This record gives sequence, structure tokens and C-alpha cells, in this order.
Amino acid sequence: MMESREIQSILPHRYPFLLVDRISKIEPGKSGVGIKNLNGNEWFFGAHHFYPPVLLLESLAQVGGIVLGTKVREKSPLAKFIGLFAGVSDFQFHRCPVLGEEITLKVEVMQSLASLYRFAAEVFVGGEKIGGGQILLSFQATESGSSR
Amino acid sequence: MIDRVEKLEKDKNIKTVKWVTANEFYLAGHFPGDPIMPGVLTLEGMVQSALVLLDESLSRGRLRASLKKVDRVRFKRAITPGDRVEFLVSLTAREEACWRFKGKAQVSGETAAEADILLQVDLREVGFEL
Repeated sequence: MMESREIQSILPHRYPFLLVDRISKIEPGKSGVGIKNLNGNEWFFGAHHFYPPVLLLESLAQVGGIVLGTKVREKSPLAKFIGLFAGVSDFQFHRCPVLGEEITLKVEVMQSLASLYRFAAEVFVGGEKIGGGQILLSFQATESGSSR
Repeated sequence: MIDRVEKLEKDKNIKTVKWVTANEFYLAGHFPGDPIMPGVLTLEGMVQSALVLLDESLSRGRLRASLKKVDRVRFKRAITPGDRVEFLVSLTAREEACWRFKGKAQVSGETAAEADILLQVDLREVGFEL
């Protein structure tokens, strides 16, 4: 399991764009399960009463980034890397999570081609599946520079 | 995510614009000292443009629409403060309450992102013509 502090050692994302709170399960380089809680203090609840679907995609991508980042860090703890959100395929939204819900974010690497990784991604609230599809990340280990 | 509608043809297409500035709050965390517009917010710009087109294409009444599906989304180029982003969205198909759109985000004529967007009209007033 990974807490927020450890997540922040892998992802460069910070407030107000760090959209995963905890990692409950992880198999570096393969799959991961993340948790995002929704409470009333979050900035997007001014304009909506639900978690915006595009941010759901971002949350999944961040869990994907952690899955790939932990793999690189396993080999060398100081390794740097750059991960970028490259795309989304065939992603359906059944409903949006609302205030007070805990979102479970599941991702699993389906295939990788050069620096491009395709993940199967699913979103659950309780036992209910509320969305799913594929996300694409571009991810590269670098000699130096910041991890992104 | 959109500042202005530049062109709109009902039932066909829309062109909107967003100016990106370093002063936007989400850039503080994406990323500290290295501001890049989040790809998902570029996607949101295309979705909002599609919503405006949908709203303007229906002649009267109140409506609420939601995002049902995105496909073929590609983020191709980083968008940074100082950029002017143009969102070009066109309606490609319409089946009852489901509206399909093709969207593109451009910066200085260069494609920054693309997406296929499916919106569903959830609520319409009685007598509303779909």
C-alpha cells in the first residue's frame, strides 16, 4: 500500500491536480488499484455536484503513472522518468461519482510498444462499475531532469 | 474551458477559443515550476464546445446533457501559458438522444489534441423537439 507522501515521491502532480489519494494494491509495471475520496472541500464542487468525467480519466492516468514509475524505482531508487497522458480509447461513463463517495481506480497494462503503454482501466464505487475503457501513457526513463 | 465562441453553425460545427495563462489555478499543480495545460482539460474544452453546439442546435427549452463516451482521444502537443487554443468541433451523427462529435484542439494551426465525443441528452422539457 502507498500513502500520499509516497505517491508524491513518484508523481510530480500537486494540489489542485493530484487526483489519487492512496494506492491499495500495486504490481509494479503491471497493475494497480488506487483510491480517490471525494469531499465537499474540493475545488470542482463549486461548478458541479459530481466528479467531472475528464478528471476521472486523469485519476486513472495518475494510477497508471505510479504503476510504471514504481517499476523504474524498483531498479534504481533515484531514477528519473517522464510520463505523459497520450490518449484514451473507447471509454464509457455510466455515471459520475458524487460527493461523499470513495472511488476505486483499477488499471492494468495490456500492451506496450516502445514508450507507449496501453492500460485497461476501470472505475468502481462500492461494487458498482461506473466507467471503463483504455488509457494510453507515454513513459520514458531519463538520465536527468524532472519526473513528470 | 472556453473563453469565446468564434463561429457556430447550428447542427454542424463550432469554433471556440481559449487563451492559456500562467495565472490559472490548476497550473500550480500541473506541474510546479513547469506549467502545462492538463490534457484532460483540453478534452474538457472540446466537450464544452460540443455542449454549446448541442445547446444552440436545439431550438427551445431547457436541457441537460452528459458525457457518455470518449474515443480516439490523442494528446499530441503540450499546451503552455501564452498559447491560444482553438477548439474545432463538428457534429458527425445523431441518434435520438445521442449526439456524436469529432473534436480537435489547435495551437497556431498545429493539432494539439483530437477526440471523438458522445453526448447524451438526459433531460428535456415537454414539447422539446429533439
